[in-house]
Amino acid sequence: MGGACSRKRDQQVNDDNLQTGVSGRYTKSGSSKWLGTSISKASMDVILGKQSCPSLMDLCIYKIREDINKYSTFSMLPRDISQQIFDDLVCSQCLNDSILKAFRDCALQDLNLGEYPGFNDSWMDVISSQGSSLLSIDLSGSDVTDPGLNYLKDCKNLEALNFNYCDQISDIGLDQINGLSNLTTLSFKRNNLITAEGISSLSGLINLVKLDLERCPKIRGGLVHLKGLSKLESLNVNCCNCITDADMKALAGLTSLKSLQIASSKVTDKGVAFLSALNKLTLLNMEGCSVTAACLESLTALDALLYLNLSRCNLTDDGSDKFSKLQNLKVLNLGFNEISSAILVHLKGLTNLENLNLDSCRINDEGMVHLAGLFRLKCLELSDTEVGSSGLRHLSGLHNLESLNLSFTVVTDVGLKRLSGLSSLKSLNLDARQITDAGLSALTNLTGLMHLDLFGARITDSGTNYLRSFKKLRSLEICGGGLTDIGVKNIKDLTSLTLLNLSQNSHLTDKSLESISGLTQLVSLNISNSRVTNAGLQHLKSLKNLKSLTLESCKVTANDIKKLQAMDLPNLVSFRPE
Amino acid sequence: MKEDMVKLISAEGFEFVIDKKAAMVSQTIRNMLTSPGGFAETEHGEVTFPEISTTILEKICQYFYWSLQYASGKETEFHIEPELTLELMMAANYLHT
Repeated sequence: MGGACSRKRDQQVNDDNLQTGVSGRYTKSGSSKWLGTSISKASMDVILGKQSCPSLMDLCIYKIREDINKYSTFSMLPRDISQQIFDDLVCSQCLNDSILKAFRDCALQDLNLGEYPGFNDSWMDVISSQGSSLLSIDLSGSDVTDPGLNYLKDCKNLEALNFNYCDQISDIGLDQINGLSNLTTLSFKRNNLITAEGISSLSGLINLVKLDLERCPKIRGGLVHLKGLSKLESLNVNCCNCITDADMKALAGLTSLKSLQIASSKVTDKGVAFLSALNKLTLLNMEGCSVTAACLESLTALDALLYLNLSRCNLTDDGSDKFSKLQNLKVLNLGFNEISSAILVHLKGLTNLENLNLDSCRINDEGMVHLAGLFRLKCLELSDTEVGSSGLRHLSGLHNLESLNLSFTVVTDVGLKRLSGLSSLKSLNLDARQITDAGLSALTNLTGLMHLDLFGARITDSGTNYLRSFKKLRSLEICGGGLTDIGVKNIKDLTSLTLLNLSQNSHLTDKSLESISGLTQLVSLNISNSRVTNAGLQHLKSLKNLKSLTLESCKVTANDIKKLQAMDLPNLVSFRPE
Repeated sequence: MKEDMVKLISAEGFEFVIDKKAAMVSQTIRNMLTSPGGFAETEHGEVTFPEISTTILEKICQYFYWSLQYASGKETEFHIEPELTLELMMAANYLHT
């Protein structure tokens, strides 16, 4: 039922991507990152299947939604059924305060009301009537206040509570729920009211496993109250710039911790020293902290450490030899630091590395030789570095490489030959002005490519012939200005494409739209700054999966796109001009 | 009764003889009819539902056939009377349908 929006119990509090700032797999990088592609590749990787037969259960649920005002109570229904009706009403945004009353005493378990419009304190009475059945509630983004939160006091079995972005909940609210000792997951991101006193209310929540306090600027000195939470495995205080070294001291005994996120806090090397006993720690995110390589000394004892994010830390080469001791690391993010190729010799022995980010570091060809033996590397980020063609020869043996970003490097066509044996590559970013058709011709072996970014490369019509090798391509960007309708014809057989960006090719006309009319998997299409006209829009009627269409600076009006949307493209949610 | 038919019996004892293929739309009935050596239902091709009324069981049988049609490409609307919805839903839940 409603597969897209029904959330399973264990996903109640949205799992943050633990590799935030580490993995670039689904984030746009390179030049197109500033264009604000609204649909992520992740969402487009979902293949739309054929509509299957609705179950009788589904049909009944739709029917109930249709006649919802005829029902005054669902409390006679078994819990699992009323839960499904509730979820459907939330998902379809049909729930309101009067309909909610029918769910009084329904013994519901999960109330996923995050970001639900109109949700405020007046709803809390019915919510609390679920009593000891209630296991999880998400009220993030609601107008619930401290008195509202008080209603949860009697829901003794509550395991997961999320009130992210609730800017009216304060220390008083936290004090009211300090008896919910079955809570395992608690999250209140971006709260400007809660202070250390509020955090002290959490000291009795001894079953807490996961605590998320991201962007709570006033919790200075509060972490000391977490000392007794011996089951705590995950703590996120990213972007709490009141968190200091003293707070790290408070965490020193929390030896169950597996994930600690302190990005953009005031923690320094001195604070990191307190973490040396956290021997289960697998993930440490220190992005944007004022730490130096000296802090690595404290981390060498952490055998479990797999993910380390040190991007934007102003790291220099000083003391970088300590990296060589972090033998177990799988993911290392060193992006946006003042480090040079000299540091790479110390990474040579980190043979477990699968993901290395050196974005915008002062890395050049000399350093690449030290990466040659990192055979487990799957993802390598070299964007905005000084790496050039001669450096690439050291990468030619990295056969597990799935994602390589060479945007804004000085790599030229000649160097790309070195990549032709990297048969595992799925994602390649060659957004650099000096790349041309000749470079592309060297890559036709890479038949597994799914994402190819040639945004600023100077690809012409003759270069598009090589694209035919990439039958699995899901996303393609060629925006260098050199394409005409003739080149676009070569794209028409790439039927797996879900994202196509051909903007800035000012010679493209309606004929190009005709060529791509068969790419029915397309979810996002951009042909801005071209000679496309309203008359050409008819060719897009077949693109039933299209969600985003961008035709800025073309002879196309918003009204015509709206007509197309109304008549033929029901899935279109975002379009320009608008 | 032919082998490719099954008999579904309501709470009031009313009998519905339908295609086995149709009845198997229900995961619960499928399990009863196919699990080796488990249920007596497997042998006799008869299933009794002491908690499902005749009206509801009739509606469910209609759904089975509608579902087969739908799967073969005939996508019509399945009408549900408002007064039956809740009871039908409980039965659908039991039948994994």
